[in-house]
Formats: sequence, structure tokens, C-alpha cells
Amino acid sequence: MKAASFDYHRPESVDGATRMLAELGEDAKILAGGQSLVPMLALRLAFFDHLVDISQLDELKGIERRGDDVWIGAATTDAVIGDDEQISSAVPLLTRATPFVGHFQIRSRGTLGGSIAHADPAGEYPAVALALGASVEAVSPGGRRTIPATEFFTGVWETALEPGEVLTGVRFPVWTGRRGFAVQEFARRHGDFAIAGTVVAVALDSHDRVSRCGIGLLGLGSTPRRASKAEAAVVGRSVADLTGDDIGELAMSDLDDIPSDLQGSASYRSRVGAVLVARAWAEAIEEATTEATNA
Amino acid sequence: MEFVNEFRVPVPINQAWEVLTDVERVVPAIPGAQLLSVDGDNFTGTVKVKVGPITMQYKGNASFEDKDSSAHRAVIRADGKETRGQGNASAVVTAELKDEGETTSCVLTTDLTISGKAAQFGRGILSDVATKLIGQFAERLEADLVAPPSSETPTESPRTLSAAPQSESGASLDLLGVVALPIAKRVLPVAGALAAGLAIGYLLGRRR
Repeated sequence: MKAASFDYHRPESVDGATRMLAELGEDAKILAGGQSLVPMLALRLAFFDHLVDISQLDELKGIERRGDDVWIGAATTDAVIGDDEQISSAVPLLTRATPFVGHFQIRSRGTLGGSIAHADPAGEYPAVALALGASVEAVSPGGRRTIPATEFFTGVWETALEPGEVLTGVRFPVWTGRRGFAVQEFARRHGDFAIAGTVVAVALDSHDRVSRCGIGLLGLGSTPRRASKAEAAVVGRSVADLTGDDIGELAMSDLDDIPSDLQGSASYRSRVGAVLVARAWAEAIEEATTEATNA
Repeated sequence: MEFVNEFRVPVPINQAWEVLTDVERVVPAIPGAQLLSVDGDNFTGTVKVKVGPITMQYKGNASFEDKDSSAHRAVIRADGKETRGQGNASAVVTAELKDEGETTSCVLTTDLTISGKAAQFGRGILSDVATKLIGQFAERLEADLVAPPSSETPTESPRTLSAAPQSESGASLDLLGVVALPIAKRVLPVAGALAAGLAIGYLLGRRR
């Protein structure tokens, strides 16, 4: 299938893009890597008269350490993120989640900002942003603002971004000390949307007590979700007193809109999700208790 | 597939029934809905719904299959066709009002049939969309009901059900009139469309 006709625009700057979006109104859509938008256009699920391509803007690319965060420009591709050494030492969860994003060809064009702004419920990067407590930077003619990831995802493919607002970058906090990270995902084939998945980040104090925990869930709701109840239940407790199975069960307990479709019923997804959280937990704890302190 | 949604309006049941079965009053409260024609218990209209990058516009007709004013129960049958695209959706919505004194609860049970690619898409997303639309509808309805008659701006007060003075609600009822049944009808095709879109997006959109 082919997309309906549209006008293609490539502004020279982010300012130019926001001005253009303000002018064109709701008939315009931002195009980044196009790995979700273009198929939707081709299938005629989405129709836009104007596409504003921001994928070539250098000011939206890059990876920088900024204080306690790593800033990643919105137009940085998944492939660059997956290969970056600074990310792999400072925000390893991103590095480990990257191979799960579609396929190689998709990662070569797909961007971090596109993935976050598209807000697919089964998206890996949104789940990582939630688990680590990232913040999303956006700009519009009205100014700049920063939105915590926890307030960013509002519904299926819906975010806190206003119409005409451009996502410019994401700041991922660097977790330090004794930490462990793991990604577990289940899909019928690699690269399919996950039936269920989880990303787990955990930090321990010197007495093997959990000092910090972030659990992101994907494919288990109308948005990527954070397993807040499970996170709260483990913080402050000794690793030896915790079992992955319990945490997995707990992580599923506050989900209220698990999808049910041909890929799997809600109860099936929930059982798979619990097992995946348990596995990821075990993996993350293993890493946190054995690896030397880094970052 | 079937799903159930519930909302409340801050008026007694007889008023709510009157408003909710009055298509011309209800439709303006439905997000994205436009009434094209009314012919007795049959009506046609369009609904535009946005979910992320997907905009679905449905055009269709609906009619009351049953309108039992003593039991406060109405059944609406709606069929919608995408104006841009091939999606189809049909729905049978049963609306039942429950008397709660000063407020009325409305339970919508929707039996949705979607054909084509939409059928592959999951119930989860559909019901999410439906819930959101009905939520918005109820909010708009409520805002209109609660707003002072002369005011153009809807009140912000989120859950002022009991706070709405009777005398004022009488006057603002016209505004209020906006919603109930058509909504159900609208929501369904819309939701169906959305769902279809979503499903397709899911299946084909990104990963293959």
C-alpha cells in the first residue's frame, strides 16, 4: 500500500520546525525515523497533509554527560545508542534494551525521540525511561519544558506533548554504586511487539539492601507502565528476604488494562509478565551483587 | 466483543433520561461528533477521533431499537463506515439509567463488531479508547450541567455532582442536553475505527 499524498518539509532548525508546526496546525506531523509513522501512513491508518522531517537536525543529535544525567538528543538513532560506550557504562539498561527494538534496519533509522514520542505500549525505550526516572525535554514556540517520564505517557500512543511541541531530548539519570540491570521480553518472533516484557534496574547499599528500584513494564497496559507497588515493596529490604516470584506477582497486581488480543489474553500476558519480572529481577540482583562498583 | 462503561450525571433520572434520549442535545457533548440529520428515531452523523497519529473519521447512522422510558433503558444500533479508509464497525449499545437521587448513573453496555483488519486488533486498546471517550463525554456533559446558565466557560470543578444546585441545573440543562445515547452510538463506531487502526498499526506498523 502507498501513503496518501503529503507535502514533505525539512526545516533548517528546531525553531524553524516549531514555527512550521504552529503554522500548519493539526494537518502536520513530525517525522523522525519514520519507523512507525511511515507504515501507518502507507496503511492509510494515519493521514497528514504535511510531514515535518526533523531527523536531519544536528542540534537534536548527540550523547552528553550533563551532571548526574546522560542527555541523548531526540534524533539520535537506536543503532547509535546501542553502540555507544558512554551509554553502555552509564546507562546500561538502554544498551541492553536496544537489541529488542525491532530489527537492525529499523534501529538504523528509528530514533530515541521518535520511540518516546510515539509512546507505543510495547515500546522498549519508554519502559526504560520510566524505570530509570528519565525526563523528557520539549520545545514549542511557547518555550522549553521538561516532563518527567512518569507523567509523560497518557494513553495508547498519547503523551503529554502538546500539539506542535517538539521532543528535543531525553535525560537519563546515571545510577551509581552497586547496581544491576536486566531486560526480559517475550515475543512470538524477535522484533515483533512484545506480548509482555520488563526492564529492571536495581541498586543496593553496602548491606545488600535495595536502595533503589525501577521496574518498567511493556505490552501490559495501554501505556508503558511502571510497577510502582513492587518497587515500593522492595526498597529498604534485604535482597535475601526477597524472591523474584513474589516481586513478579506484585508487579502484575496493580495493572488494570492488560491488553487481550490474538497474541494473548490478559491473564496469559499477566502470567508471562510475572515470570519475566522474576527472571529480570534475578539477573539484575546477580549483577548488582557480583560486579565491581562502576560508573 | 463487549464492554461496559459507566458515568454519572448530576441530575435526577427523569431529567437525565430526557436529555440522554434527545439526540440533538446529546451529540454536541460527544467529542468529535457532528449530527448530520435526524429523522424520528433514526439519525446520521460523523465522528472524528484522534488516537496518537491516527485520526479516524466515521460516518454512519444509528437508530433506537428500544426506548423504554419506564425502565429507563434504551438500545441503540449503530453502523459506521470510515470516510477515509475501508473500516467498518457496528455496535449495539444498551444504556441503562439508575436512579441515585440527585444524580443518575448511566451504564453503557456495548457489543461491538468490527470487520476486516480491525478484527485483529485487541480488546484492550478498544476498551481503553471507549473509556476515554466516554470519560470526556461525561466530563463535558457534567461541565455543562454544572455551569451557571449565563456562563460560557465550563466549570473546572471535576466532581461537583451534588454541588449542582437544582435551580441552576434546570437552566443549564439545554447545554447539558448534549449527550448520553448518541455518545454510546458514536463511541462505538469510533472506538471500532480506532481499534482497527491501532490493531493494524500494531500488526503491520513497525516491526516487520
